[in-house]
Amino acid sequence: MFKVMMYDGGVYRSGELYELIDDVGGVVLQKNRSAQMLSIIMSIPEEDVKTVEALCIDIGGVVKPVPLAGTEIAVVGPTLGRHHMPHPICDIAEELRRYGAITVVMGLARGRGKATAQINLEERMIIEEYDAAVFSLGNFKECIEAKKDLFKDVRVPVVLVSGPQLEGLEGYCDAIVSGVGRKSARMRTAPERAKLDEIADRVEDVLEHKKELIEEDPLFVHPGEIKSILENYEPVDMCLRPSPLVLHLDGLRVKIPYEEHAEIIGNMEVYGRKLKDVCTITPSKINDSSILIRIKTVSEIAYDDAKKAAEKK
Amino acid sequence: MDIDVECTDGFGSESYAKLFEDIMSDIGKAAHIEKARIKLDPQTPLFVFSVKLKAEPANKTIGDVANVRSEGPDSHITITDERYAPDILNQLWKAYGRASVDQQTRFDMNVRNASAADITKMVISSGEEYLKEIVGSLWRTMPEGIKNRHTFIDGPVVTVVATEEMFQPGMLEEGQKIHKAMCGDA
Repeated sequence: MFKVMMYDGGVYRSGELYELIDDVGGVVLQKNRSAQMLSIIMSIPEEDVKTVEALCIDIGGVVKPVPLAGTEIAVVGPTLGRHHMPHPICDIAEELRRYGAITVVMGLARGRGKATAQINLEERMIIEEYDAAVFSLGNFKECIEAKKDLFKDVRVPVVLVSGPQLEGLEGYCDAIVSGVGRKSARMRTAPERAKLDEIADRVEDVLEHKKELIEEDPLFVHPGEIKSILENYEPVDMCLRPSPLVLHLDGLRVKIPYEEHAEIIGNMEVYGRKLKDVCTITPSKINDSSILIRIKTVSEIAYDDAKKAAEKK
Repeated sequence: MDIDVECTDGFGSESYAKLFEDIMSDIGKAAHIEKARIKLDPQTPLFVFSVKLKAEPANKTIGDVANVRSEGPDSHITITDERYAPDILNQLWKAYGRASVDQQTRFDMNVRNASAADITKMVISSGEEYLKEIVGSLWRTMPEGIKNRHTFIDGPVVTVVATEEMFQPGMLEEGQKIHKAMCGDA
C-alpha cells in the first residue's frame, strides 16, 4: 500500500528528498516551487513512510496528510464579479489546495440572478473535465433553489456550498454545506475555518465514493504510471506552466497543445499497448492549451479487444 | 452606524447586515452614514437600500477642511481634516505646480506666490462625485443579478430600489415609502 503525503518547506537539501523517494520506490505526484519555498506531494510505500518523514523534518520542512492529492477540483461561482470574488470562492479553493488537490476557480458567464441565472453546454463540459465541482452560491434560500439548474446536469460529483440551510436539493448534488453564503472578507475566524474544513471533508467523502466506483471496474493503468512516462517527454519537461501534469482520479491533464502533441502521446507505449488504445485522448474544452487523458477500465479494454477479434474473423 | 434590516429570509437578514457594514467600511464610507434601512425580499425579488448620510453631499473647498493664512507673498495651509490631505495637495499641484508647494508636515504646507483667498475657494471634492460613490457602494452591496435599479435622492437620504427584471406596479412606491420615512427622520 502506498501513502500519499505532502512535504512543505524550503528547497534546501530537497535533492536528498528526491533521491530518497526514488530509492524507496515512491513517486512524486506534484511539485510546486515558489521562490525558495517548495511543496512536494508524493506517494510512498507504507513501510518507508517513517524514513521519509524523518528526512523531511531533518531538512527543515513539515509533513502533512493530503487526502485530496491526485485530484483536480473546480470551484465554481455565479460570476467572477466582485460580489462573489475573491471571498469565499478563493478561500474554499485555498483550503482544498491545503488538502492536496489542484484547484481552479471558475465563474459562469450568466450565473447571477434568480430568474436569469443559466449555464451553457460549454461551461458544463468544462466543469466535467474535473474530478469534482464545488458550487458556491449566495444567501437566499429561494434564489439557490431557483438556481439548481446550474448544477443538476453536471456529471461529476457536486458539493453545494450555500448560506441558508437547504431542503429538497439532495437529489441535485452529492453534498450540501450550509452557513457560508456571500462574503466580503477573508474566512479567518475559528468558526469560518471549521466551515472550510467541513467543505473539504465533504469533498473528500464524495471523491472517496467516486474512488470506490472506479475500484469496482479498475483502470487499465494507474494515472501515476502514465505520468511517469510523460515526464520524460521533452515538451512536458520544458513546459513552464505550473504543474504541467495534473493527476485525475481516472486519468490526467497534460498542459501542452493538443494539435501538436496528441498523436505522439497516443503512440507512446504502456504495458505493450499504445496509449491511444488504452485511453481516450481529447483536447480540453477551455482552449487548445491542454490535453485530457481518460484511462479506459479493464472491462472497456476487454470489450475493445473482443470487438477487434470479431472484426478480424 | 445604525442598520435596520427587514428580510423574509433569516440567514439573509443577518448576513446582509454584516455584509453592508463590511463593504461600507472597506470602501471608507461607513463613517459618512448615520443610518441605513435595508429591505430584502428575494421571493419577489425586490431590494431597497436606503441610507441617511451624516451631511448633505455638497462641494467641499479647501477652506472647509483647512485653515489658510497669508505670509507675505506666500500662503500657509494647516489641514484640519486629514482625510482630504491628498485632494488638497493634488489641487495645489495642479494650480501652482509641484515646485511651488512645500509640504512641511502631515498637516502643514506652504504655497509660494499664492493668494490665501484663492486657495480658500478651491474645490477639492464635488458633491456629485461623493453621491456617485455612495450610490456605487450601495450597488456593490446588492446582489449581483439585481440589475434594474432606481435611485431616489433627497438631501442626505439616498435610496436605491432594485429588482431583477421589470419593475412591477407598487415596487417603486414601496421604495419611495421607505425613502420618505428616512427623510422624515432627518
